[in-house]
Formats: sequence, C-alpha cells, structure tokens
Amino acid sequence: MIPNPLALIAEITHRCPLHCVYCSNPLELASAASELSTQEWLDIFQQAGKLGMLHAHFTGGEPLARHDLTELVAGARAAGLYTNLITSGIGLAETRLKALVEAGLDHIQISFQDSREVPANWIAGAKAHAHKIELSRIIRQYKIAFTVNLVIHRQNIDHLDEMIAFIEQLAPERMEIAHTQYYGWALKNRAALLPTRGQVDTAVEIVATAEKRLAGRIRIDSVVPDYYARFPKACMGGWGRRLILINPAGKVLPCHAAEVIPGMTFENIRQHTLKYIWQESPSFQKFRGEQWMPQPCRTCDQRSVDFGGCRCQAFLLAGDAAATDPACSLAPAHQIIESALHALNSDTAASKPVAASSMVQLQQVEKLWSYRTNPE
Amino acid sequence: MAAPEDSSQPHLAPGCRWAAEKTAGAEETRVILFPEGAIKLQGTGRQVLERCDGVRTFAEIIAELQAQFKEADSEKIRGDISTFLEQLQKKRIVDY
Repeated sequence: MIPNPLALIAEITHRCPLHCVYCSNPLELASAASELSTQEWLDIFQQAGKLGMLHAHFTGGEPLARHDLTELVAGARAAGLYTNLITSGIGLAETRLKALVEAGLDHIQISFQDSREVPANWIAGAKAHAHKIELSRIIRQYKIAFTVNLVIHRQNIDHLDEMIAFIEQLAPERMEIAHTQYYGWALKNRAALLPTRGQVDTAVEIVATAEKRLAGRIRIDSVVPDYYARFPKACMGGWGRRLILINPAGKVLPCHAAEVIPGMTFENIRQHTLKYIWQESPSFQKFRGEQWMPQPCRTCDQRSVDFGGCRCQAFLLAGDAAATDPACSLAPAHQIIESALHALNSDTAASKPVAASSMVQLQQVEKLWSYRTNPE
Repeated sequence: MAAPEDSSQPHLAPGCRWAAEKTAGAEETRVILFPEGAIKLQGTGRQVLERCDGVRTFAEIIAELQAQFKEADSEKIRGDISTFLEQLQKKRIVDY
C-alpha cells in the first residue's frame, strides 16, 4: 500500500519578472502557450483533495503572472487544501492581496535576495527590493501566515547576521534561510555562488544564535548546504514518497529537476489521473522504496533517513541517476564534490564575494553569471 | 518568550487552522494545518487545542481539564499543558 502524497507543488507558470541567478527552475522553461487552463488546475485540486493531500504550494516562475490566481486559490481551498503562495510579490498590490486572502489564502512566502537594495536587485536581475519591503508591511495587516525566504550563497553570506536582522524587522512568523541548491540556473552559476567551508561554518553558527534569540517570535527553518554535509539531503522526503510537482504544462514530476534525467518519461495530467500517476506510473515507482539502490546505500543505516539522496544530483554530477548522491561522503563519486570544493577553498581570490557598491560597478561583472531567462 | 501565564488567551497563530473533517471514521483524530506541515491530534492534545480559542484564559483551560481528569495529579496537568503550549508557540502554531 502506497501512502498518500502530502503536498502538491503547483508550478502554475514559468513566466517571471525576476531573473535570479540561483533559480531552481529547469533551463528549459515551459512556454506560456503550453500552460494548463484554469479549469484543468481546478480539476487537479479536486483530485489532490480526494487523494488525501493537505497542502497546495503555488509557485512558478511567478504565480502572480497568472491572472486567474485568485480563482485557483479559491479552488484549492474548496478542495480542502492548505494554500501557500510562494512569490516575489511583483504584481501584488493591496487590492489583489485582499482578494487572495478572501479567496482563502493561508500563507504567503516572499523571497528576498539580500538586505541591501543594490546587491538584491543585482542578484534578481530586476528592481524588486523596495517593492518587497513595502508589500511586507501590507501583508502584516492581514491575518495570514507570513514567511520570508532568503537564499544564501557566496555573494551575500558574509553579512548573514545583517540579513537576519533585516528580516526580523519585517516581522514574519517564519524565516527560511536556504543555502542555494545546485540545480537548473544555480548549477550553471555555481562557480560564482558556492561558499567556502569557512563561510558555511560561520553561517551555521549565526543561524543557531539567531534561533535562540528569536525563539517564540520567529521560527527559523534552514536548508543546509549539502556539498559540505557528511550525508546527503533527503531530497523531497524521498522520490514519490510525499510530494507531487505539476509543471506549467501539466507534466507530473516527483521533484523540481527530474526532467533532466535522460530516458525517463513523465506522465501528463492531461492524459492520466493524479491517482494513477502517484500509484502506478513507472516514473513515480522508478526510485521509490529501496529496490533500486546501489551499494553503499542498500545496506546503509542512513537509507531510511536520506533515501540515497537526490536522484537528479546523482545524474547531474555523476552521470547516473541510480548512483548514490555524490554529496554523500560514502558515495563512490564523492570525489566530484571534493574536487569542486578543493578548487574553491584553495583559491582565496576566486572565493571572495564581488565587492561593489553601485549598480554600474556590478553590471561590469555581469559576465560572472547567467541570468534566468523567460519562456517564450 | 516564556510559558503561558494564567491570564494568557492561547489561540492558533496566523495561517494555522483545523483541517475540515474528512471522513466519519476518523472522529478521534483531527488535524491542524500550518505552513509547511500538519499535526494530527487526538486525546488530551486535541482537547487542549480545541480550547485555545482566544477567549478562554490559560487558567480556565487548565481548570476545565483538571475537572475532567480528577484522578490525575492537577499540578502535573498544569505542567504538561504549559510545556505543550510553549513548544507549539516556538513552532509558531500557537500564540498567547
């Protein structure tokens, strides 16, 4: 008996006004013309509710780029789901926020790129920072849960304590301090984003201190940097164990990056029911359970904790989706991670963040990375 | 933040709510949904949280449960409920 999936990640569009260099979207984005219709999404939420799912996370791209978002949130609530909007806030004026709350929005999560305006806009590739601050003030006038998310990497990690103090002023219930995960655009830009071991160690201490100081006011959830960990992350809580992601074009995936794995076919919600895809499709069964595991995972005590790590990372770094995640210190391919870290940690010049105080200066170093593009 | 005081009026934090009851068979269990998670509640835990309505005070909630469980040590009931609410407050599921 396969347990019910718990949460639906609804990637409702890949269109986005921001161009963040660490975006986890795939490099090949779904076109606007291929997007699921309002009615198709409403039907998906009904199916999700009947399958016993609890949460719907609206994400993208930028979910606000869809004009039917309020209707979709209302539909997910009507299906019994808890609704979470993961957004940059661009395109959200107070009237629209009010309509979303009235439609049953439970939780809003705004991402910030930095505490300082110039570098924040530099990382986002768009002028967004000031609007986000303004919007955060408006959000606090409504009775919904508010999370501020901050993605950290080499270019901002050195002033993490300042960024935490900045978020504190926005008064969310939760803050998410997420080390960049290297997929999609972030992997492409890894050389400019990966922090040094010293930076990571300091960041871990800063977060632990902040957790104590803010206990009872702001809950901190951290996403750890798996490159420096001993064991890999339990990616998505295990393949096909908890989560379903549906991309803008209706492709049903076990995670954000799964499409990169060659030789796999993922079903489309236009052709099959969610129940069939979850319970019976070959793609969701492929890495579910322990049958597929190689050594050392197969006999490892950690296998029921981390499920062998991330299948996409195994493919992206080791060229084999069925290999132990190279982030694991026991993985045969761990050398790949070690050499990436060795190169970074032994070159003091390369590991420094870009020092710049104006947009003009920052634009001169633009070749440092590739900004996320937009779909057709 | 510290443990609730007698005059505190515990309630679910913003964005935390009871899930609609789904099946008649699962009467014992109710679920609270919150950002990124859910907790299943039954027994005493459920009885405590159902009383966290922002109207009853902490002292009233304790008194109601002490009256219901007369055979149990009343100070232990107070201590357990206080710890339970403080833990949920740290997770930002309950406010008081």
